[in-house]
Amino acid sequence: MELKTIRVGHEGRTVHYYRAGQGKPLLYLHHLLGIRGFEPALAQLAAHYDLIAPFAPGWGPAKDDLPDIDPGALDLTLHYCDLLDALGVTQADVVGISIGAWMAAELAAISPQRVAQLVLVNPLGLWLDDVGGEDAFAQHPGFPSRVLFSDRSMREKLFIAGRDKMEAHVEELLNLRAGAKFLWPIPDTGVKRRLPRIKARTLIATSERDTIVPAAYGPAWQAAIPGAQLTTLPDAGHIAELEQPDAFSALVRGFLN
Amino acid sequence: MKFHWFNLMPWPYLPDDFTEKHRSVWVDVDSRLFDPVKANRVYNDYLDLLEFAADLGYDGVGINEHHQNAYGLMPSPQLMASTLARRTRDASILLLGQSLALYDPPTRVAEEMAMIDCISGGRLISGFPVGSSMDDNYACGVNPATLREKYMEAHDLIRRAWSDPDVFAWNGKHYKLRYVNLWPRPIQNPPPIWIPGGGSVETWDFCAQHNYNYSYLSFSGYIRGAQLMEGFWRRLEELGAEFNPYQAAFAQQICVAETDAEAQRLYEKHARYFFSRCLHVHPGFADAPGYRTEATIRAGLQSQMAGQSSALNQAASLSWQEMIDKGFIIAGSPDSVAEQMERVARTLKVGHVVCLLHFGDMPNEVCRYSTEMFAQRVIPRIRPIWGEYEDHWSPKPMPQADRAVPRDCPGTADPSAAARPTLARVV
Repeated sequence: MELKTIRVGHEGRTVHYYRAGQGKPLLYLHHLLGIRGFEPALAQLAAHYDLIAPFAPGWGPAKDDLPDIDPGALDLTLHYCDLLDALGVTQADVVGISIGAWMAAELAAISPQRVAQLVLVNPLGLWLDDVGGEDAFAQHPGFPSRVLFSDRSMREKLFIAGRDKMEAHVEELLNLRAGAKFLWPIPDTGVKRRLPRIKARTLIATSERDTIVPAAYGPAWQAAIPGAQLTTLPDAGHIAELEQPDAFSALVRGFLN
Repeated sequence: MKFHWFNLMPWPYLPDDFTEKHRSVWVDVDSRLFDPVKANRVYNDYLDLLEFAADLGYDGVGINEHHQNAYGLMPSPQLMASTLARRTRDASILLLGQSLALYDPPTRVAEEMAMIDCISGGRLISGFPVGSSMDDNYACGVNPATLREKYMEAHDLIRRAWSDPDVFAWNGKHYKLRYVNLWPRPIQNPPPIWIPGGGSVETWDFCAQHNYNYSYLSFSGYIRGAQLMEGFWRRLEELGAEFNPYQAAFAQQICVAETDAEAQRLYEKHARYFFSRCLHVHPGFADAPGYRTEATIRAGLQSQMAGQSSALNQAASLSWQEMIDKGFIIAGSPDSVAEQMERVARTLKVGHVVCLLHFGDMPNEVCRYSTEMFAQRVIPRIRPIWGEYEDHWSPKPMPQADRAVPRDCPGTADPSAAARPTLARVV
């Protein structure tokens, strides 16, 4: 699948994205490690929806856009509104995972008319002192994303394998840099105060073996979003989309009308 | 050559099983290992040593900034600099921190440095470090993705605040100040600016662009440092800068005794304390994502600690002779040390040496011995190296005769003091 580009907003920022499949538009907002390629979960979703999967500003081919995006919610949300405008999509279902789930929640809270249904998997952005969570940004610099997976060997298998090792490692560090810009030093984005504004039909999912966003955050998200449902992904880690593409896409398809 | 006496101010009471029982000397180091009552003696011993070195004629006395760190007890180097400004007469005050992005507003740095320069009669060297990832990102919470932007903006603001005589508005990305108007201002304007760096390629260009001194503060010694310094000099040449050894400083562990054997007997255990306990840093705190720039990552250069920790873990397991042979430490009789120091000067081409004559848990009297031997029996022999170059990176203080004389300043007998009215007489 070819990576497409489109220029969005009055500044003409270039967005790199995948778009495939037919049906209702489904916007996929990626996790801390970005998008590896047109990976299995995306292919499975594209079999049922008009899937739009953009790189967020700062990740992958958009790495150099990071300095121009404010760390708060507004710039990012306007960015996604601009993207939907440029693609001619008035309203979409949105699925986000990890930091992408935070971005999806902001979009749904700040611009409720654009989001019909919302799936938030392992969402970052809330902080509970008595739950905490592993620090995704205080890891060994030689293999900093191991902690994101339920099994340490999965970083190599699912993120590095099949690519130039050095390039993959640089991309890993730069993707984490982008995540740090929005979540440093504590992943408390202030989204909590905006969550009650969400009008979309919403599903929250946590992964059983996610140490970054422990499952105990699920009820807090559910309580803050009117009418939200809550479920869990057994055995998965924080990057459930790479670890368990079948279960991930089944979860999304099972919820969306 | 110029010689600056520098002390990291390590906590000397880390237990023997520190590296087994604790994961890091930095950031989350167990605060129960700190004893404020013992710290009374520790701080005063360390300040005594700095004053002692100044009296012996070292060109500068150096201090720096670390946070939540058991090998560096100076969260605020400017506090140390202020007392040294009063208690020393001629030495440069080598303030190799404050980490600019930690101060909001950064005009605070400009103010404090101006105060120290005024109090010392123009003896300040102002170090502008980015700071380590452990300090900036983990201990102080600065975002690694924007750290360098903030640093550059703080630098520009401080330089303007020192030089612009008028009130101005600063509408930056990270700092907004409606009225910038520095009081006081430094005697030297600006004081010499030194950039402590670990090996990021952008830092070299920055030094070249502004004609700043580049200070490579490594703990891994001159043999490992040679390659990096060579990169610095090559880059300067590429950018068309004229070579001057005083544009660079290098930090080196040094210890001197009457004989090589005595040096080992006196200093080995303290070197081992330093390399094993003091540099025991949790790798997760070495390098926050974004701390290194993409160019630096790609150049294959390691960050300050990530690179060093592998080398330094090695140092801890070496024999004493291997530590010397690999350059981690320069040690021995005055003859041996002078010969090794000459090698430092020639291979690194540096004019300023930041002499780490105190390391680890070295007691005051042991350090005084080494400090005095180096001053009296080594420095005179290597002082003439680089004599043909002019040092543009040292302070230009007020003439001695015009400077205020603090009361009870060590090394001075102020003839006018007796004539001054005491409080009792005035009252």
